Amino acid sequence: MHLVNLKLQNFRNYENCTLNFQNKINIFIGENAQGKTNILEAIYLLSMAKSHRTNNDKELIKWDSEFTKIEGRIEKNTGVVPLELQVSQKGKTTKVNHITQTQLSRFMGNMNVVMFAPEDLNLVKGSPQIRRKFLDMEIGQISQIYLHEMKQYHRVLQQKNAFLKKSFGIKTTEHSLIDVYNEQLVDLGSKIIQKRFEFLEKLKRSAYSIHKGISRNLEKLEINYQSSINVSESMDLTKIITLLEENFVKIKGKEIERGVTLIGPHRDDLVFFINGKEVQSYGSQGQQRTTALSLKLAEIELIHNETGEYPILLLDDVLSELDDHRQSHLLNTIEGKVQTFITTTNVDGIDHETINNATRYNINSGKLLI
Amino acid sequence: MYYPEPISKLIDNFTKLPGIGPKTATRLAFYVLDMEEESVLEFAKALVNAKRQLTYCSICGHITDKDPCIICSDQRRDQTVLCVVQESKDLIAMEKMREYTGLYHVLQGSISPMEGIGPEDINIPSLLKRLQDDTVQEVILATNPNIEGEATAMYISKLLKPSGIKTTRLAHGLPVGGDLEYADEVTLLKAMEGRREF
Repeated sequence: MHLVNLKLQNFRNYENCTLNFQNKINIFIGENAQGKTNILEAIYLLSMAKSHRTNNDKELIKWDSEFTKIEGRIEKNTGVVPLELQVSQKGKTTKVNHITQTQLSRFMGNMNVVMFAPEDLNLVKGSPQIRRKFLDMEIGQISQIYLHEMKQYHRVLQQKNAFLKKSFGIKTTEHSLIDVYNEQLVDLGSKIIQKRFEFLEKLKRSAYSIHKGISRNLEKLEINYQSSINVSESMDLTKIITLLEENFVKIKGKEIERGVTLIGPHRDDLVFFINGKEVQSYGSQGQQRTTALSLKLAEIELIHNETGEYPILLLDDVLSELDDHRQSHLLNTIEGKVQTFITTTNVDGIDHETINNATRYNINSGKLLI
Repeated sequence: MYYPEPISKLIDNFTKLPGIGPKTATRLAFYVLDMEEESVLEFAKALVNAKRQLTYCSICGHITDKDPCIICSDQRRDQTVLCVVQESKDLIAMEKMREYTGLYHVLQGSISPMEGIGPEDINIPSLLKRLQDDTVQEVILATNPNIEGEATAMYISKLLKPSGIKTTRLAHGLPVGGDLEYADEVTLLKAMEGRREF
């Protein structure tokens, strides 16, 4: 997958900007606050139809402008696809092949990107919610059914919690309503857990070997699914169902007392280990960063396996944060295969063939200096 | 205030209806001004009468102008089968089919604690009372195929289990006359799960 060109109109601090990308590796160099990340954001928008930085689309529109437009041509195995995204005060419109799309989901996924930004450290360090979101986003890209099950699951959860909350009023005759919700949660929850296991198995396969490479064979990465009900990844659907059922029965009294659902996939988490030590609590800053990097690179492999094409990689200000060895391992992995867009304040310290052959763009206050 | 009071009051009242915003309300109000007085009176009367004369059937909960409703008082209908639906509108949909000859029970909603609706707040107690004698042998649960409708059906079936009355649930899956290729993934999955042997 290859982004051939990108045209920005009234986007953030760009009034009009057209970029052509012949090369696989493209580096945007500039001081802070000049608009390097804005370009990566624009590419990300063409893929996901939303920004990685903000939920307010109007922030994307240049100050004093009515609308913003991003256009890009993407070259795939199947041909060239022009993509267009426009944001105005009224909302978003998207076009694929110059045809307006009525559903955003039809626009998303025409182009796959993987972004690696400093915030991604939170994938390892941050709250479990961030890791669950990572799982759900990744699986959701592949499976519509998973998205549906997830939505239904949360709906049941809200209903059950609302019922539990009126705690003082629950009569014993109404206990069977809790059983009904539990039955629904077991049905949906077990399918969700199973799909997560399937995804994790694929993720692990690539992430383990990538991590081994990055750490020069010194570190062994392990990813564990940590569940509120002690399921393990070797279990099949019927076993997961039984465990969920048993645990719901066991915890029912406590749930009534606390007024909230205490177990299920919405409470689960991923735990990372390096050489047997938990990375989140005991890992160094560097180890946490490498773990996040391994996950992101594994994601590239996964998308390649699912779609037959490499996604586009966006590296926002992370190259300078890696040590020499990790840098060159990263660059070796993407070399010649993955079209990559990199932002950095300078490349002086990096002496690698990939960087030396890359196309450089100097960015200054929303303008391209060539 | 741009409009004289009588018409702005009328506009206000139209906006209370579902699906009608200020623009449509204004258009409707001005249309009413142009109507003949007789039709306006008839319209007003119809509104009041619908509200005054209709009640809920004391047996099944369906809207009716006489109690019990025509379905409940029709002795030719099969008294051993009971179809449980959420709304009167659902009952009418079933009746249009012209194939079902049993009786109905209208719940007037579904269990949804988020909206403050518990099992006691819809017509479940009256349903249980109705099933106390042994006339009804099958209860068809025809609530909507969403989370709330499903939960309501499951809850009722749990309550009926000890009584030994047969409970059934409507099937869901592919629409009749549709093409397989146009079905969405979730519908296909449901159809797959509910497949049966020839």
